[in-house]
Amino acid sequence: MASSAFTSSTFQSTPSIFSPPKIKPTPRLRVRPPKAALSDPFVLQLAETLEDSLSSSSSLSLPPLQKLREISSETLLSLSWPSRKDEPFRFTDTSLIKHSQVQPISNPNPNPDLLEVLEDTHFPKLVFVDGFLVNSLSQLSNLPNGVFVGSVSGITDERIVERVSEIVPMFNGDLFWSLNGVGAPDLVVVYVPEGCSVEGPLHLRYCSVEGSDDGSERLPVSNPRVLVVVEKGGELGIIEEFVGNDREKCYWSNSVTEIVIGEGGKVCHSYIQNQSLRAAHIKWTSVQQESSSAYELTEISTGGKLSRHNLHIQQVGPDTETELSTFHLSAGDQTQDLHSKLVLDHPRGYSRQLHKCIVAHSLGQAVFDGNVKVNRFAQQTDAGQLTRSLLLEPRATVNVKPNLQIIADDVKCSHGAAISDLEEDQLFYFQARGVDLETARKALTFSFGAEVIERLRYPTLRKNVKNHIKQLLDPTPG
Amino acid sequence: MALLRPCPSIPSAPLPLPSSYPNSRNSIFLVRRFPSLVQSSHCRRSLFLPKATAAIDSQATASTVNGQDGLPKLLLEVKDLRAVVAESKQEILKGVNLVVYEGEVHAIMGKNGSGKSTFSKVLVGHPDYEVTSGSIVFKGENLLDMEPEERSLAGLFMSFQSPVEIPGVSNIDFLNMAYNARRRKLGLPELGPIEFYGYIAPKLDLVNMKIDFLNRNVNEGFSGGERKRNEILQLAVLGAELALLDEIDSGLDVDALRDVAKSVNGLLTPKNSVLMITHYLRLLEFIRPTYIHIMDDGKIVRTGDISIAKVLEKEGYKAISAM
Repeated sequence: MASSAFTSSTFQSTPSIFSPPKIKPTPRLRVRPPKAALSDPFVLQLAETLEDSLSSSSSLSLPPLQKLREISSETLLSLSWPSRKDEPFRFTDTSLIKHSQVQPISNPNPNPDLLEVLEDTHFPKLVFVDGFLVNSLSQLSNLPNGVFVGSVSGITDERIVERVSEIVPMFNGDLFWSLNGVGAPDLVVVYVPEGCSVEGPLHLRYCSVEGSDDGSERLPVSNPRVLVVVEKGGELGIIEEFVGNDREKCYWSNSVTEIVIGEGGKVCHSYIQNQSLRAAHIKWTSVQQESSSAYELTEISTGGKLSRHNLHIQQVGPDTETELSTFHLSAGDQTQDLHSKLVLDHPRGYSRQLHKCIVAHSLGQAVFDGNVKVNRFAQQTDAGQLTRSLLLEPRATVNVKPNLQIIADDVKCSHGAAISDLEEDQLFYFQARGVDLETARKALTFSFGAEVIERLRYPTLRKNVKNHIKQLLDPTPG
Repeated sequence: MALLRPCPSIPSAPLPLPSSYPNSRNSIFLVRRFPSLVQSSHCRRSLFLPKATAAIDSQATASTVNGQDGLPKLLLEVKDLRAVVAESKQEILKGVNLVVYEGEVHAIMGKNGSGKSTFSKVLVGHPDYEVTSGSIVFKGENLLDMEPEERSLAGLFMSFQSPVEIPGVSNIDFLNMAYNARRRKLGLPELGPIEFYGYIAPKLDLVNMKIDFLNRNVNEGFSGGERKRNEILQLAVLGAELALLDEIDSGLDVDALRDVAKSVNGLLTPKNSVLMITHYLRLLEFIRPTYIHIMDDGKIVRTGDISIAKVLEKEGYKAISAM
């Protein structure tokens, strides 16, 4: 359809029937001059603190981890802390982290209260507490032969170690990615061998226990890191769930997940972010898709004071399928940010992206930058992107920047963006059937997110998420 | 046919009656008391309400508005209703008068843009329109003082001409919410999803729909026929003393129309009434109206029986204005 090098975003904005929300349309990406390779003292100090905290850890001498730390340290030398002047952080204020005294958590402290909460799913699970894998809380029986799940230090098969060492340098990211690389106490590996299908999803549960009280300068940080490798024809379902043990605690979760999907492989990924409402949550998800592979992501992010998800998907072979569905809810004074980038370099890729967000608080904010790159050889790509935002309060803000960069000339690409209040026609339909306005608003607000929630594959998860969202949208029961 | 209700001392007046007429009832009242005023005799209620008709015929005492003495109650009384489009202030309704008694079936016909749909939307309180003067009394209460949901709970139901899609809300959840709103109003305990399922499942037969209809999102991806059936299903579940059916026949094939008409007829009792808006005689052959009103330029310009629709079908609106 389009063959221009760059298409700018379209906005449809229906006026609010209540007070007008603030909508800030964003202009096209600006090309910024490359930064001089100068070290940022704050970043260096942070890196040092992270390194120091890990000096006692034993698995650090393992080749894959060493490699990771080397790459990360090197990139950190030329990176500075992002400011609002940097395009990727133009609308996302990270001063919450910068103005705190960041403290790496050296020892996990599994709280006994946590155990109770953990009994809610029957899936094989891997539990992280403050970034550390806790085997005693994990439950990994019934995994098929050849599947490995655990710390890289526990891999006995040399071929897997080799494969992991090979993969680690293939990825890269921004400052936060590198900080995680320096601060990660371990590399947790999920390895699915060729042709193997893991039934029932693997549940990765990241619990944050350490946290400071509001007003304290201290900001405990955790750096969990996971590498998922699904070999040719393999299939895996994973659930990543981030939870804060205390809704009022301040902490920083800086996590990275990397996924490699071999030829014809399939990964179905559910990502639930339900951190404390005072936490900073920065997350990287990087995916490499080989030919004919399929990746499906369903994300529900509701927690955190500052939540940023960097989602990078790189196609490394033809005929891939990618489906991204994300729902962000800012029900309080919080920022929900999704920066996604899908790079298509090979023919006949198929992708669908649906991003929905609700800002239900006058100090709430949502940010979406969705980039789809259709490069020269990505002919017959079919890429669709849609973002819809619902602003429910005066001064609630959303910044959306859907952007397609298309170089191939035989492609089908579409994108759309809509920002609105609830539809009056729909509200009236409820009223005409005897349902009062407030109940109708609640039902419609909830249904807005339900479109994404319905895409979660697992009924128990779907039910939990639904109840949680209902509670957030309507804190007073009844 | 005998006079259905003895008349107090009202002199015979030409139609339509001026709105300033001192009697509280408008032209319709007169029509039914003076059948000779309309072109042909009408067989009121003979199809639907034989009992009610018999009861009325045997009555020889003065009629009362409140329906004591077993007479049908006055359900809706619209007097000199004027309404404008809220945004542009363009006047659409220019003095509508209408009276509906319980058990009656009325039809409103008229050219496109004559104000039929606006009239039904104004009755249910659609925010796109503002009432500038006149009154609407429904079951003795001032409808204009009520919010749309209160009007619904009071027993007024409008089937939408093109019902809106509500993605993310399943049909059964929607119906359950609406049904529970009614139960709350009546002081009854609300029904949970499972109890409600038991209540609603048998109603699906009424509109000839399969059970999976309930799990689909409200009107999302519904065909024209499915949307209309869904409206009637809602009517069946929620009940209504006055059902306003806005072009319930548009976009339906003959079979679907018969189904929908059958379900509407199945819902009719001597206590509730229907006001339908249609362009076609076909619907009126399935759901027989007691009265047919012709609307033109925001007013009801003529009232009669089925013969008026027949003339219309044959000769168009020109013939009506020439009558």
